Amino acid sequence: MALFLDIFGYLSVVLRGLTLLAQSFTIGGLAFQLLLLRPLQAELSAAAIIVGKRGQRLLRLSAFGWFAIVLAALAVNMAALTGTLELSLGEAAGADFARSGFAVAACALGIAWLARTGHWGRARAIMLVALVGLALAMQLNLTHAASRLDVRWPLLAADFLHMLGAGIWIGGLPYFLLALNGCRSEDDQRRIGRRYSLMSMASVAAIVLGGTIMAMAYLGSFAAIYGTAYGVMTSAKVAMLLMLLALGAGNFLAVERLRRRDPAAPLLRMKRFVEVELGIGLTVLLTAGSLTSLPPGIDLSQDRLSWSEIVERATPQWPRLSSPSVDQLTISQLQAKIDAADAQRVTAPQAYVPGEGMILPRSAADIAWSEYNHHWAGIFVVLIGVLALIERFSWGRWARHWPLLFLVMAAFLFFRADEMAWPLGPIGFWASWRDPEVAQHRLFVVLIILFGLFEWRVRLRGQQAGRAALVFPLTVAAGGALLLTHSHAIANIKDQLLIEMSHTPLALCGITAGWARWLELRLDGRISRAAAWVWPVAFVMVGLILLDYREA
Amino acid sequence: MSCITRSLHLPVIAALLLACPGTASAHAIIVTSQPASGATIDKDAVAIRLRFNSRIDHARSRLKLRAPDGAEQALIPAADAPADEIDAEARALRPGAWHLQWQVLSVDGHITRGDIPFNVR
Repeated sequence: MALFLDIFGYLSVVLRGLTLLAQSFTIGGLAFQLLLLRPLQAELSAAAIIVGKRGQRLLRLSAFGWFAIVLAALAVNMAALTGTLELSLGEAAGADFARSGFAVAACALGIAWLARTGHWGRARAIMLVALVGLALAMQLNLTHAASRLDVRWPLLAADFLHMLGAGIWIGGLPYFLLALNGCRSEDDQRRIGRRYSLMSMASVAAIVLGGTIMAMAYLGSFAAIYGTAYGVMTSAKVAMLLMLLALGAGNFLAVERLRRRDPAAPLLRMKRFVEVELGIGLTVLLTAGSLTSLPPGIDLSQDRLSWSEIVERATPQWPRLSSPSVDQLTISQLQAKIDAADAQRVTAPQAYVPGEGMILPRSAADIAWSEYNHHWAGIFVVLIGVLALIERFSWGRWARHWPLLFLVMAAFLFFRADEMAWPLGPIGFWASWRDPEVAQHRLFVVLIILFGLFEWRVRLRGQQAGRAALVFPLTVAAGGALLLTHSHAIANIKDQLLIEMSHTPLALCGITAGWARWLELRLDGRISRAAAWVWPVAFVMVGLILLDYREA
Repeated sequence: MSCITRSLHLPVIAALLLACPGTASAHAIIVTSQPASGATIDKDAVAIRLRFNSRIDHARSRLKLRAPDGAEQALIPAADAPADEIDAEARALRPGAWHLQWQVLSVDGHITRGDIPFNVR
């Protein structure tokens, strides 16, 4: 139980993110069937029937996934409840959240059961819509909106609009991609593109309207945007929404050219943009999962970050390139600064989620050690970005060996990540494997080595690398998404929030780098060439943020 | 009604039967507390009043006192507390450093815990 409680906070966030993914894909699949394929049925070619069946299969799979994930989330929450309060399973299952969760799971199972492949009669279609509506209404019981003590209906309506819009637009993207790849006739693509474009625009309006109402109610002031974790995560979501809107605008223009029967309409570009939209959309939903685990910024009035504190932390300083030795741990000036900050900390009542972990007191040497590691990692990443830029020039072919820097980075991490383990610390190499954190670090080291060797081979093989080249952008984008999917200290601990301030732009740069490289590989022409410059620059940015990383 | 149509209604009915929860709540954090964190009390009894930012599930929330010698004692929350509060009475407090440990469940399933240290003089 102790181990379970240790990971409970993170597990809850991941399950919440996955719930939103499965929910959106279910809503998107149903909307695609009922608002797009069904009304256009008479006008589309026979290929659309096959696309429709594939879409129905994906919809069933999503609904089954939704059912399974909601049950898993319920099991985790009920286990935590029974484990911490010595309640019986029946008492835990009687909680309101559990009843709402069971209702959502039943709806999802019903959708999976009803959404069979083939023609849907009117009654089946109505019941599917009713089940989705009911599931969303029940899902509202698990959001901030339902918990407010003040007027709740505007917030409930805003949340409903937000989730419905995200479901139809982001959740509809895999189905749109299926249709674009499955319906080869230009007439089909024009009709499907036009209709999906209209659905997306209406969804964006719903997302923005719902999001604005919630942001105003839950943040309450400009200072909460940068001063609280809720505000920082909301800003990350807005940044990703802007990326999605830019891609969506590109697709809108492509659809308009298709509608005008322009033979040069950029169809391939539209498909590739949809792929990237899907990737960023998944990240937005995972971020939303992380965001829902936080109390609204408006409720945190103490220990907020001030603008001057952020500026002070972000002001560039010379990187720390020398490290304290393991047994010599005193940097008096820095230690005094930490002590002063600790003394000033407002005595806000502490609150935490089981498994969030105790925040251990940090010594100046701990901070120096961590900053040194981040700064050297930053140097490696800047070098990787710069070499990838140099590789773009005709005289810079030699720089294509940059993935080998990942091997150097892996060696650095192996030596530095666990100061108490061999070779720096007193714990032997084999004995140190008993510590799960050490084992996790070693696993990362192996993955970085494999990743470096893999990408090096791609660089050497050039155009012949094929799909293997896609591993690099997908891994980088997934890394960015993982950085945004984390549990938070729910009391507004300033130091953690300041660290988060640097991790959020890191994640956004990672996402930009990954998907820009994807576009470079998957497209030709102007956009591919531009993307080839964007991702190394994003890498350099990641490196610079790491170089400016400070913990005090 | 055909057999197929009837079978289609089953999941809808099942979902409707389950779909009757009351109000729900999100993450609960303390807005005000009595005693305040770090407060010093001159009496041997104190009225505990923790107010949260949202509604909480009283039946699945707990309050506990940890005495200066480490002994723990569960407190019985008042039944008539407002939706966003947990109230209780602590008596016979001897001088020393005490901890009020709380755990609440917001109705949406978020569990929050906390510890309020206070001194009795």
